[in-house]
Amino acid sequence: MISTIKKILIILLLGISASLAQSDEVKVRVDGLSCPFCAYGLEKKLNELDGVDSIFIDFEEGLVVMQVTDSENISEEEIRVKIEEAGFTPKEIVFSGKNEKPDKDD
Amino acid sequence: MDTLIILLLKMKSIKIITFLFLILVFKAATSEKVFAQGPPIFTDSPLLLGLEGGGIRTFGKYISTESGKSYIQPLVIPYNVTTDFQIGGIQPYVFRSPDNGESQSGFGNFTLFGKYSIIQIDGKAKTFRALLKYTQTFTTGASNVSVNANASQFSIVTGYVTINYGIYGTLGYTFVSNDLPDNLIYNFAFGYPILPQKYPPFQLNIFIELNGIHTLDVNKHLLFVSPGLQLITSSTFLIETGVQIPVIDDRNTTKFAYTLGIRFLFF
Repeated sequence: MISTIKKILIILLLGISASLAQSDEVKVRVDGLSCPFCAYGLEKKLNELDGVDSIFIDFEEGLVVMQVTDSENISEEEIRVKIEEAGFTPKEIVFSGKNEKPDKDD
Repeated sequence: MDTLIILLLKMKSIKIITFLFLILVFKAATSEKVFAQGPPIFTDSPLLLGLEGGGIRTFGKYISTESGKSYIQPLVIPYNVTTDFQIGGIQPYVFRSPDNGESQSGFGNFTLFGKYSIIQIDGKAKTFRALLKYTQTFTTGASNVSVNANASQFSIVTGYVTINYGIYGTLGYTFVSNDLPDNLIYNFAFGYPILPQKYPPFQLNIFIELNGIHTLDVNKHLLFVSPGLQLITSSTFLIETGVQIPVIDDRNTTKFAYTLGIRFLFF
């Protein structure tokens, strides 16, 4: 009986921790990304957004992928403003993860 | 020593340029995934981003002329007021060593500049940009190493940069005071990365540039061919070197100019 309770508790804890650890992903297509070192400003600007854990930039695809703790705290408009402030042109933004938002094209 | 260097440069300039072009052609034919080059060494860039924008720059320029040698060490500090607008200042320190006379040194004339972006056409992994640039040089320098004239230069700076190469061009006109002749400047640069790249960047780039100046009134022309090499070690630092070889020199003054410099981001 005690053993069964322990197993249930472990399963519950694992489920809770997995849920807490899950981060959202935000994919942004950015035009004008033509040189890696001039994208440093873009990375800095996007890191100013709340809850950004990591940023990956794919130059060939003109794609920025952000891992965020909670995409509910970041609006599409905020992301567009930051990208424009960095000197680039934001295009499609796609939210995915536990707080998925509808896709929106330009 | 200078004579030897000049002789080698004169004899080999065509070979060097041919060699660099062969590297470009070979690289283009065999390239897999490479990313774009950095800012040109002797030509302006219209990108006000990263090291091309807020990068503080200093370089040593050794110039060998018919009448002596000079060494110039400018410090260039730009500041992006907005995404589209940059201001900055240039303060050089000059050493001059004439063949017939004593060596002299001191601060050169101070220059203020402003850049305003007028065109930004972004596409996937490419961009075309253009900006207007104004520079104003003041007669603040020591009289023994500086030109005693104010100069106002208006120029347009353009560039088409993709992840595979960059083409840059500048055209400008300089008004010079004290009855000295005005001049027309033009610069062209082609940049190409040698190494496959990654992000954060580690890049080795080659440049071939043309840097020309036509002095009005006296109708004299000076055109340099300027091959260069640039190493970008991170998002915030690069080191670059290049040599300017005169291919047209109506005044027969400049033998060659050699540059070694760095750029780094503080902000």
